[in-house]
Amino acid sequence: MKSIHKLIITIAIGVGASVTSCQKLNIPPTNIVTPEVIYSSEAGVKSFLATIYQNLPIEDFKYRPDGNGDPVGFKHGANDWENFYTSASAIGEEVGPFGGMDIGGGFGYWPYGDIRNVNTLIAELPKHVASLTQPTVNALLGEAHFLRAYYYLALAKRYGGVPIITVPQDPAAPLSTLQVHRDKEEATWDFIGTELDLGYQMMPESSDAGRANKYVAAALKSRAMLYAACVAKYGSVNFVDGTARSQGLVGIPASKATAYFQAAYDAAKLLDGHYSLYNANSDKVQNYVDLFLKAGSPENIFIKQYSIANRTAHSWDATMSPRYMTANALSRAYPTLDLVQLWGNLPVTNDDGTPKRFNNRAELMQGLEPRLLATVYFPGTTLRGLTFDMQRGIYPSFSGTAAAEVAKQPNSRSYILAGDTKTLYQGKQVIGFTGPWTGGDELTRTGFYVRKYVDYNKPQASVDLNRSEQSWIDLRYGEILLNRAEAAMELGNPSDALSSINQLRTRAGATLYGSIDLDKVRKERRMELAFENQYYWDLKRWRIADVVLDRAHFKGLMPYYVFNENKYIFIAEPELFNREYTFQKQFYYEGIPGGEIGKNPNLLPNNPNY
Amino acid sequence: MKKLIGRILVGVVILASSACTKTDNYDGPNASFQGNIISAQGGNLLTSGNSTQIRLQQIGWTAPQTIPSKFDGTFEDTKLFKGGYKVVPTGGAFWPVTDTVVVNIDQGTKRDFTVTPYVVIKNFTSSLTGTTLTLKFDITAPVAAGLPTIKDVQPYVNTTKLVGTGASIRDFSDVNVITINKQFTDMSATEKSITLTIPNLIPGRTFFVRAGVRLSDSFNSSNFSEIVQVDIPK
Repeated sequence: MKSIHKLIITIAIGVGASVTSCQKLNIPPTNIVTPEVIYSSEAGVKSFLATIYQNLPIEDFKYRPDGNGDPVGFKHGANDWENFYTSASAIGEEVGPFGGMDIGGGFGYWPYGDIRNVNTLIAELPKHVASLTQPTVNALLGEAHFLRAYYYLALAKRYGGVPIITVPQDPAAPLSTLQVHRDKEEATWDFIGTELDLGYQMMPESSDAGRANKYVAAALKSRAMLYAACVAKYGSVNFVDGTARSQGLVGIPASKATAYFQAAYDAAKLLDGHYSLYNANSDKVQNYVDLFLKAGSPENIFIKQYSIANRTAHSWDATMSPRYMTANALSRAYPTLDLVQLWGNLPVTNDDGTPKRFNNRAELMQGLEPRLLATVYFPGTTLRGLTFDMQRGIYPSFSGTAAAEVAKQPNSRSYILAGDTKTLYQGKQVIGFTGPWTGGDELTRTGFYVRKYVDYNKPQASVDLNRSEQSWIDLRYGEILLNRAEAAMELGNPSDALSSINQLRTRAGATLYGSIDLDKVRKERRMELAFENQYYWDLKRWRIADVVLDRAHFKGLMPYYVFNENKYIFIAEPELFNREYTFQKQFYYEGIPGGEIGKNPNLLPNNPNY
Repeated sequence: MKKLIGRILVGVVILASSACTKTDNYDGPNASFQGNIISAQGGNLLTSGNSTQIRLQQIGWTAPQTIPSKFDGTFEDTKLFKGGYKVVPTGGAFWPVTDTVVVNIDQGTKRDFTVTPYVVIKNFTSSLTGTTLTLKFDITAPVAAGLPTIKDVQPYVNTTKLVGTGASIRDFSDVNVITINKQFTDMSATEKSITLTIPNLIPGRTFFVRAGVRLSDSFNSSNFSEIVQVDIPK
């Protein structure tokens, strides 16, 4: 009897459970944003775009060319404070944290996750014309094509040819279709060019700061096509041989150079009349300083913004100036004399080879080009009420030539040095509050500091880590003029190049050129774009990095006080890190990341020598 | 109390005996590969740090590995996994070897590779006058046509027998470089007869010295002379 009861209960439970469970669980997941939510309004798409923009490979203040950080290389977190790890300091514009040319191998950048986001956007947008309207869809599609080109540009300049993937791949597809082969380098650059053309055609004339418009696409195209043109022209002369090269995965036939130069020139010309050089202040030094700090400058084409409130601020101010002038932090990257001498030799030596005597350090700046003074802090300039008092040491007396003094062994030189700023020699401070000094990371080792992008208005107490908000100018009209001039020069149109270069030189306060050649155009580029993370790629695309950085050593300019004369002298000496920089030829391309080859052997052959 | 200790001991014994029963059933990398990189002009190819390598790629794997050549042109790696490898010498100042050979590497595998150096240093002599060392030699090219540009010629000076690129005293070595930047075929006979001087060596010290000729090939690599020992009198 009891067992029958049990049976009835069991059956009842069984039936009851099966009857009620037959409802299909078909409610939209509450923790996942579905396409309907994103594409039903422009605001929804904007929030999706924010991720794509955030991951965009912009080589800004926080960029770590050695690949440190999370995400690797292109950091965008709340505490990415070590902003002195600049690419400039691996190639001799600055010397500093890198022990040498430590960035040539790259960091395995492989942003196909981000590219997938863009591909999804491009696939989805046309399905939502009803909610978004056709013009909005077109504008957003144009923006997406621009963004995709931006990612592929970062790949092409590192690896040459890469797999061009334009649709979101289905993870369930057969492996053979997921393991995409590399495209040729030429095809990759052509794809970038086409994408940017679409961006130019489809985007509106203007945009919110930090977002692209049609001219941003044109500006990026001039940069991209110039790179491709140089790969074709110079990469066919100076190259490393290998299977990848013979298959066209790296390298472009030299015959294609002219077409790319023309494309770069045409793209740059599209910006004519829509942007202009920043020229708001008649004081040329102050004007050039402000160019990098003033929001709404007509020179800014594409910028990246930072905010303390959103926890994305950077640390440029706290890490590019000496601790003496900041509230905290360290500095470690300092401009070289070699960079400064692009503007010509400084008048520090007399005709007989003896060091020129100066009454004060600031005298050195007399007659120098305003742009140089706005790019680099010289001894004698002021920041936040404090003076850059660079002084390496004291000579009780000094005789002979500068060259003979530098050739001596350090221990046979008659100078007095000091281990800290407190040490005095007969009542005189031996080293300056701002260095140079080799004891730690806060004082210059070259006699100079970076001035570009430093916010001089910030009170010292607030110059701390993760407290800088000035925008990074990723594309500015100055660069476009340089792109245009270089392309014009390569196309045999020197008069156009001359007029572009002289526009820049007028703004810089430099004497104008009467004639032009390619060397002058390239030198102008180095001067105008110093510390803007461009020169590394310029060295690569001109294929001169292995010549310029061939066991290269760089110099600083050391100020000394000559005690018995009560004068200052400046001596050009090896920078005090005493580093050596060598660029190996294989670095013209980075190796395809090993982990990616493991997932997709079709990426082989790897680039030559990897 | 004794009981407790006894129980703990029993527990320890059980844990200890049961913990280590599984053994790794994969062999360690116990195969080895060694040999010589022989110059087609006789003897081993003399090399230096960070240049000549034996490049191996295990068949079925995608990542290559390398065995650096020692300064005397020999190489050895005793921690390789047994298997078939595609092998090619690379990275040095010799005419590129494009054909990889397949080697089945097992314990004690030996194999020599013959390469044709770009440049051979002949009639190498050194003479010391006071603290100034003079190196004289002639450079010849087994195959002159298509040779990469000769970049420069320089001495390498170090205090140990490991002397070459990346292992030299800069003030005696890199600063005494003679820049050439010419095609070998455009160099005159006198230009191919080279004299390097190294002044101001330190009295009472022993140095190891060699000369190198650097070419603008894919690696900016150098051909080297043999290494000579130089004792500077006090």
